[in-house]
Amino acid sequence: MLVFTRRRHDAIVIGDGIEVRVLRIGRDGVRLGVVAPIHVPVHRSEIYAQICEANRRAANGATDSTVLAEILKPQ
Amino acid sequence: MNRSSLARHQEPAPDSDRRAANVVSFANGLPGFEACRGFVLLAAEHGGLQYLTSVEGPSASFLVVDPRRVQPGYRCQLSDADRHALRVADDETLLWLSLVTVETDGTVAVNLRAPIVINPAQMLGQQVIPYESLYPLRHVLLKG
Repeated sequence: MLVFTRRRHDAIVIGDGIEVRVLRIGRDGVRLGVVAPIHVPVHRSEIYAQICEANRRAANGATDSTVLAEILKPQ
Repeated sequence: MNRSSLARHQEPAPDSDRRAANVVSFANGLPGFEACRGFVLLAAEHGGLQYLTSVEGPSASFLVVDPRRVQPGYRCQLSDADRHALRVADDETLLWLSLVTVETDGTVAVNLRAPIVINPAQMLGQQVIPYESLYPLRHVLLKG
């Protein structure tokens, strides 16, 4: 892993067109600004990990549509 | 439907074949299923529901439902990046789908946080991860 010391308003550049800038340094967190090309997805890693996990659970669950069809049936 | 006929790790078909076979292209796959780049929608046995089933890359199949059937008034904002990825023009009708999980104890939950959005005009799809969402990742419809 590359490790940098950055101060407020400093940035790093990744590849062609991705910039990560330190906007604010607080007691509990660092506020970052990310500039990236429109085709490069940028997500908070823990949210992405949660969605990976939820997708795996969905794929591994039962695939019978009967129960859901019953729940959604018009009353 | 006959899911057993879907071979594992199939190669991508040429574009013309993909269109003919109603294959929706997912440029980044789905989170956790990044190698799944092509999906088809198959009718489920009941209730007008569908399966989103991988036909390129590893095999995977998801029971899906329109989030508005689960949560009337459901709304979700597409970012500029989402609109770009799906090549959305202003007047296109998009297909919104939420992944359903049927857990081992019988609990049925729907992912309203990160919907699948498909642009049928371009046969492009992706799972949208809104920066902020009103809805949970695990919206429980039935407790097991």
